[in-house]
Amino acid sequence: MHAVLAAAQTLKAPDLDYFALAPEIVLTAVLVGILLLDVFVDETRKYLVTQVAGLGLLVSLVPVVALAANGADRSMLGGAYVVDNFALLVKALFLATGYVVLLMSSDYIGEGDYYEGEYSFLLLSSLLGMMVMGSSRDLITIFVALELLSIPAYLLAGWRKRDLRSNEACLKYYLLGVLASAVMLYGMSLIFGATGSTVLRTIGREVGGSVGEEPIVTLGIFFIVVGFAFKVSAVPFHFWAPDTYEGAPTPVTAFLSVASKAAGFVALLQLVYIGFFGREEVWGPLFWVLAALTMTVGNLVALRQTNVVRMLAYSSVAQAGYILVPFAVAGSNPAANATAQTAALVYLLIYAAMNLGAFAIVMAVARKTRSAEISSYGGLFTYAPGLTLLMSVFLFSLAGIPPLAGWFAKLYIFESALDAGTAAAVTLAVVAGLNAVIALFYYSAVAKEMWMRPVPDGDTTPIPVPPALAAALAFTAIVVVAVGVYPQAFARLGDLAQLTLR
Amino acid sequence: MYSKREAVGSVTLAGDPLFGGGVDGAVVLIVLLKTGVAFAALMVSVLFMVWFERKVVSDMQNRIGPNRAGPWGTLQTLADGIKLFFKEDLLPEQADRRIFRLAPYLSIVPAFLAFAVVPLGGVITIAGRETRLQLADPPVGILFLLAMSSVAVYGVMLAGWSSGSKYPLLGSVRASAQMVSYEAALGLSMAAVVLVTGSLLTSDIVSEQSRSIVDWNLFRLGFLPFGIFLVAATAELNRPPFDLVEAEQELVGGFHTEYSSLRFALFFLAEFMSTVTMSAVMVTLFLGGPSGPGPDRGFPGAFLPVFWFLAKLMIFLFIYVWLRATLPRLRYDQLMDLGWKRLIPLSLFWLLVLAAMILDRRYGFAVFGAGILLGLLLLRAVQVGQSATDDAAGAAPAVREAG
Amino acid sequence: MLAATKVDVAVFGASAVIVLAGAIGVVISANPVHAALSLVMTLFGVAVLFVAQEAHFLAAVQVIVYAGAIVVLFLFVIMLLGVDRRENVAREELRGQRPIAFLLGIATIAEFVLLTRGTSWVTGAESVVGPASGPGANVETLARSLFTRYLLAFEITSVLLVIAVVGAVVLARRPPPERPEEPEPLAVPERLHTPQLDDAAPVPATEVPAP
Repeated sequence: MHAVLAAAQTLKAPDLDYFALAPEIVLTAVLVGILLLDVFVDETRKYLVTQVAGLGLLVSLVPVVALAANGADRSMLGGAYVVDNFALLVKALFLATGYVVLLMSSDYIGEGDYYEGEYSFLLLSSLLGMMVMGSSRDLITIFVALELLSIPAYLLAGWRKRDLRSNEACLKYYLLGVLASAVMLYGMSLIFGATGSTVLRTIGREVGGSVGEEPIVTLGIFFIVVGFAFKVSAVPFHFWAPDTYEGAPTPVTAFLSVASKAAGFVALLQLVYIGFFGREEVWGPLFWVLAALTMTVGNLVALRQTNVVRMLAYSSVAQAGYILVPFAVAGSNPAANATAQTAALVYLLIYAAMNLGAFAIVMAVARKTRSAEISSYGGLFTYAPGLTLLMSVFLFSLAGIPPLAGWFAKLYIFESALDAGTAAAVTLAVVAGLNAVIALFYYSAVAKEMWMRPVPDGDTTPIPVPPALAAALAFTAIVVVAVGVYPQAFARLGDLAQLTLR
Repeated sequence: MYSKREAVGSVTLAGDPLFGGGVDGAVVLIVLLKTGVAFAALMVSVLFMVWFERKVVSDMQNRIGPNRAGPWGTLQTLADGIKLFFKEDLLPEQADRRIFRLAPYLSIVPAFLAFAVVPLGGVITIAGRETRLQLADPPVGILFLLAMSSVAVYGVMLAGWSSGSKYPLLGSVRASAQMVSYEAALGLSMAAVVLVTGSLLTSDIVSEQSRSIVDWNLFRLGFLPFGIFLVAATAELNRPPFDLVEAEQELVGGFHTEYSSLRFALFFLAEFMSTVTMSAVMVTLFLGGPSGPGPDRGFPGAFLPVFWFLAKLMIFLFIYVWLRATLPRLRYDQLMDLGWKRLIPLSLFWLLVLAAMILDRRYGFAVFGAGILLGLLLLRAVQVGQSATDDAAGAAPAVREAG
Repeated sequence: MLAATKVDVAVFGASAVIVLAGAIGVVISANPVHAALSLVMTLFGVAVLFVAQEAHFLAAVQVIVYAGAIVVLFLFVIMLLGVDRRENVAREELRGQRPIAFLLGIATIAEFVLLTRGTSWVTGAESVVGPASGPGANVETLARSLFTRYLLAFEITSVLLVIAVVGAVVLARRPPPERPEEPEPLAVPERLHTPQLDDAAPVPATEVPAP
């Protein structure tokens, strides 16, 4: 017994900065709390769990804000976990997204006879994984965070257990997600083998040096990027996305298409800008191909959709393509590098708001029509003018029409491509521009249905919007409009949160 | 204190004193000899165990038991073995031939391999070379034991499946679920031993306990891990009252229904071999292995430690027979309830208390208090869950009683 | 210490043969149970390789976790679902995929051959090769890095396990019956009706744990 004690004394406790970990610790406490609460409240009062979960998310935002006010960069565990402006910004994004999704789902899940307590638990645990992802600067932490955010997401996708489509959604998402993890892990092991480290900063130094010339590093980078390409549903690794988005419960779809995708991009940003930055000639062309394919295929297939959820699914595939553009051009010169990072981050922030908003409308409309077919939106203006207006705002923002936020996001993407100035970058900008035009067609098709077509079944009773859903709508709409009017706010945030390999 | 750790570390690297001076022909011969002796000892102990079990059970049931072959029927097992050897070897038509033939060996090998890491006595001298009375002392001895107990499930599982018949299949499905379930509790109570010893070497575990009888892990760990280990080990062995695997009334003979002749004998052998091995493991982990009940005198001579070891082994062998004669078989849901809802939480909790006690007594009591609160909370949760499932079972309460 | 002796080479050769034979067996076995058993063989071969590298802990964990738990669950599922029939390998579900897979396989092999012809393989800045040394060696070194450098990842993994448990319960739990007065089909005790391969499930799935 004493021998153990002696050994314990010689073990140097790791340097933990509890302030820096506070958001995650609070969220974990909330997780445990709701899990216990779920056991003790009876079936009729399960909504309490959702309420506590929502409050918990807001409470975890407090340390994030406090850390931001404090301003100092914090690093612990040998550089594996870093809390800097970038981490804080994406954590705030994830918490806000999670809160909006919780607002959207509270009525949906409550009325749908699902397991309400576990739903909140899994949603929050996925968010916890995303929060950790925002600070992970180490391959192992990134991988564990990725699993922590993915596994609850797999379960949530299959939440409608007795619905075959939901089962299909869950299974496809799970199988392809696991495959992606395996591919990525193989790449990580190659990188670790070549550089002898799992910390991104060390990897960055090694990859930038002579080790980076080894073919094994190329292979490692390729596998890791491909693994994350699955996560962000980039073409040609997007097969799971439309089926999963259609089959999963709508709030979960919103969550997957926004938060989950954002987490994938956050990981990519960290890997590319810190870990692999020295090998631009490897990932640059890779991202170029991914971006061009993703935008084009996503938009072209979205054109043919008749179901609004499927349309939004392909649209979110296409949007991922836009976000990939800055990655493809980042390595050209230092100025392009800085703009590219800002562009990707700003696009993520704005995309979160407008996509969540669109899904909130889909949910509100489905409460009455019980359908997600585009034809069921006919004449929406005659009986739900508010929803119609908001939906138009979100759709045109997704399409990138000024003066809405999406326009500004696209502008930044183009700017980053033009800053790079190479022929490849300009070509990519042209591809993106063409795609923006294609996208306008299918977004405006829905708008046309809502504003101009007659009501298909003649039922013009107004749609009741529950307060939580209304709050989610209001929040997202305000962000979309406000950022469109005053874009400097987000741009400034994006500029502050730069990642560099020092 | 730290110097002791160093010593432990150097033992890890050097291992058995036999290998101190490099490996030559004589060393190889000694190792082979030890292997042969260990195997023979295990075989003889199986012969003895079968006879012992039949005799004790018949005593408890007021019968006479085997009394024909040899003095007090001691050669009965041998006679049975020879009979089985000459029986016809049947291979069912539906069977998967290769796996059907392989399964008995998969059952018997882990039982023997686990026995290899059990220290049977102190250091002895053979042909001028010192060696331990222990076949192997790998640096991860305890994990090796766990590994072997988890691999043991293959024999049963594949035997049932490859027979191509429904009763064996049901038996093997039950067996694998049961063994996988109870392995968690088994591992957690082993973890308690490792926690206080601070080493995974079986030889370290034994020498830590050799100072005096109060240092035996049975007392030092507060009985609970021992109790859990005993129950979990019984379930791992598929012995009564956990022998649902071969519940005759339900499954004919369980996984070995279709086996006959030598292959059946192998299963029989494997079962009793595992029983002996598991008892030996328990002696090692909780009762100080070959150390006597007196104060530490090292392990003098070759005889005394082995005597103590065998004496303790006998206790467990008797307990197993006693359990079989006394307790009725559990129902399947009771079995799972016991494993998942009682043993695992309990051993986790106790592990926490032990860890806190090692760190600091005050923490120990704090954890104890907090643990009781948490335990009540969990109990309540289990009750809520239980009532929910009972409600779900709804109109079929009769099932619970009838099952 | 690191120089390979004849014994080392022999051990490596033997386990390499076992690993490869098992891996090939997994791919070409028509029967899923045989494939799973071949997988066990590979896992054991890898465990032996770990022992040869003095990574005893890794070897033991490999056997406990993979051979002792994961493949057991594989087999369990195969047996429970009754999918243990021979697959008709001749039938092609997706036309034209086999030649493509074949070509891709060739390409991958060619790629690896090309890679091995690269100048140097091990290029790491800090060496991670060789046995761990110091008191308690393997296990202790591992524990130290788990509880210092990788503490956070370790803790997150524990959260992950809790989530997995919740997820398993959610997936396996049966919804409360709509009309409780209607007796469930399970009202007949299992052992009273003829057991068939398909209903060889005496346990609800919640009670079959992931390890």
